[in-house]
Amino acid sequence: MTDGHVSGQTHEAEAHSHHGQYLLVFYALCVLTALSVIADLAGGGKGRIVLALIVLTIACFKALFVMMYFMHLKFEGKWKYALLAPTGVLAIALMVALGPDIGMHYYDQQVPQVTEEAQQALHDAHGEAGHSEAGQGADAHGKAPAEH
Amino acid sequence: MTHGTAAPALKMGVPIPNGKLGMWLFLGTEIMFFTAFIGTYIVLRMGSPGWPTDPEVTHIRVWAGGTNTFVLICSSVSVVLAHEAMAMLDFRRATKWIGLTLTLACVFLGIKSYEYYGKFSHDILPNHVAESPTQALDKLAREMDAATGLPALKAEQNNIKQLQALGQGNEEVLAKRLEGVDKQIADRAEIEAAYKPLREKIKAQNITLPESREALAKLQEKYPQFAGVHDPHVILYGNIFSSTYFLLTGFHAIHVLVGMLMFAIILWRGLSNTLTTEHAVLVENAGLYWHFVDLVWIFLFPLIYII
Repeated sequence: MTDGHVSGQTHEAEAHSHHGQYLLVFYALCVLTALSVIADLAGGGKGRIVLALIVLTIACFKALFVMMYFMHLKFEGKWKYALLAPTGVLAIALMVALGPDIGMHYYDQQVPQVTEEAQQALHDAHGEAGHSEAGQGADAHGKAPAEH
Repeated sequence: MTHGTAAPALKMGVPIPNGKLGMWLFLGTEIMFFTAFIGTYIVLRMGSPGWPTDPEVTHIRVWAGGTNTFVLICSSVSVVLAHEAMAMLDFRRATKWIGLTLTLACVFLGIKSYEYYGKFSHDILPNHVAESPTQALDKLAREMDAATGLPALKAEQNNIKQLQALGQGNEEVLAKRLEGVDKQIADRAEIEAAYKPLREKIKAQNITLPESREALAKLQEKYPQFAGVHDPHVILYGNIFSSTYFLLTGFHAIHVLVGMLMFAIILWRGLSNTLTTEHAVLVENAGLYWHFVDLVWIFLFPLIYII
């Protein structure tokens, strides 16, 4: 209870100075969100890796703003390091550990739907070139184009 | 006696209220929870070339995600202002900000519900999506059967006939049931004759997707029973896409609901004039939790809606 009062008094003293900061952070978050959408529209579906890097970097900055100002981590004592370091390290370690799975593909894409799709693409390509495709491996169902 | 000059007793632990410490520890576990989900999503996404990204296919709208991001940012500001009002002992103002936060949370869930409705109406659900032409045609056949209700009726007709042949059950009741089922099948004779050719072609694997779509459109024009049958089409990796979409956004939505419950309690206290300094930590904890919900969405928005 005493702790609660101490915490309340500390925040009361700082409340006025924080008010402007909250608005600035709000504007920054809105601008960064708009930038993400603009990046998506400007990208037009091309260069997805670059787009991913841009929007995830923006997301990191947004998260930093929320944690620092809205969650008051910027104004908290050193306890925050002791409390958040383990989970922070583990979260980063998990993503690093998943890195090889994200970056490397160990197996060929031999799943049935991809195989059927590839057969269809082959069939379409031959069909456009004016070749007869009778008996070339594309069955009745394979003739159906994949609709997206 | 030395009581007057004794040094204050040492206090162990971190210099924050126990409730706040508990909330931060809980948020630490939550970080791991969502990191695991997001990491798994990225692995699956990167390992699936041809992952559906076209909004016309996925029915994921950037405007909806962007609006929800804006709504959550606004709610983060309102909750932090409620916390500030509590620190200044202005409980009436704190109640107003909490009320606004709760309203914004409702708006968020409203938009999310609209998005979910789109997924359900287009049947973009785990284990429902056709990932090859074969699966698309099989699904079409199943849905047409279900729309006519004929397979179920014929199965019931057979069951009754078997019971009659075995002499089991009340003869009179069975005869009455059979009469009812026969009548229902007879009523559907026209629709059966109309959709049977398409059904047979699918069974014989003698039709392409565009042909099946054409045939379905003609049936739908004439028979409203087929209105609910989905247009047969393929979405490569559509099942894993919908699984991860509903897992990530669903767990986030559950967190939103929990936050709303906390805000509802605070709002009720505020409206009944029982919100006091004692609840400062409660408001602060609700705020911390809500900012975390916002934080998760900050990453979900680019991952699901943009990339």
